Amino acid sequence: MVDGQTHGRVIDIVTEFANIGAGSAATALSSLLDVELMNDATTCEILPLSKVSEYLGGAKQVVAGTYTYLCGELKSGVLVVLPQDSAIALLEHLTKEKVVLSSLNQIQMSALKEVGNICLCWYLIAVSKMIDIDMIPAPPDATVDLLGAVLDMPLATVGAKVDTVIAVHTSFKAIDRQFEGYFLMLPEESTLKLILDRMGAPEQ
Amino acid sequence: MRVQKVIGIGQLGICRPPEQLACLGLGSCVAVILYDHQLRLGGIVHVLLPKAPAKNNASEEKYADSGTRKLIRELAARGAAKERMVAKIVGGAQMFTNLNLTYADIGRNNIAEVKKALREFGIRVVAEDVEGNRGRSVYFDAETGKVVVETAFSPSRTI
Repeated sequence: MVDGQTHGRVIDIVTEFANIGAGSAATALSSLLDVELMNDATTCEILPLSKVSEYLGGAKQVVAGTYTYLCGELKSGVLVVLPQDSAIALLEHLTKEKVVLSSLNQIQMSALKEVGNICLCWYLIAVSKMIDIDMIPAPPDATVDLLGAVLDMPLATVGAKVDTVIAVHTSFKAIDRQFEGYFLMLPEESTLKLILDRMGAPEQ
Repeated sequence: MRVQKVIGIGQLGICRPPEQLACLGLGSCVAVILYDHQLRLGGIVHVLLPKAPAKNNASEEKYADSGTRKLIRELAARGAAKERMVAKIVGGAQMFTNLNLTYADIGRNNIAEVKKALREFGIRVVAEDVEGNRGRSVYFDAETGKVVVETAFSPSRTI
């Protein structure tokens, strides 16, 4: 898919693509939470399926993950992942009540889903504008569980055709308090080609 | 010190005492654990998808049907007898219940394909901790054949 020569260029383009999406999502999240958020640089790694959760910090950590899948011309999984402390902080801020992650009530679960939904939508709006392709996300769903388990379905969806995936990862954190998380995009190969075309990668 | 090896998605591991094998954070993935008590020889395959495509140039270990068969072959090649092998199955949860996608039911399909492959060889499933909507971590001890299943929020259980 990507040979040595084009490798660096591909990474650059996909990274820029994700930076724009993540920037837009973080801005939306900032105003929703009234917290100043900062994005870290996007990293883009080509990984075997078996190594993805390790790359993201280990399959055993408990996280809150919101996932959607793009099912239009562009095919990609997109996730917002929050470590458990940040998920608690976020939900307590929004619902003004004590939050226990192991037993979220309906309001808390739906707040989590909605925050994920807003982030994912802003991410997608920004990248969709940039490459001028409409994106059709499935309604997102959220869960709080082991990272490995959260990633299984997204990986199964992109992993059906290939043994390696491209994990495009942008983390964000609050400037003045303990709050962080990351956006993760897992594009299918055809989608990657489309992104590269639209963003002017030279034909090799 | 126990030697513990983590088996990731689409990987297969064989172990003898004192080794332990683990699969961390199984969602819709399934860990198939086979054990020959007499030889104290066992193995795990961590499968992601139900059925290997007909024209298969991908890895066998990724799929429930071909992965289970490969694990049986690998153990048999090391002297394990099919008649003595027993199976334990863990995983196959549905993590995102509201998503109406092709892959929504993947956990259940994975389990079905694993069981079908085991039946072909007449291997008995002696224990399982499957389905539901919770992720699981699995630890397999080749000394005893016991399997410990952990989840994010509830106490671990041994099967």
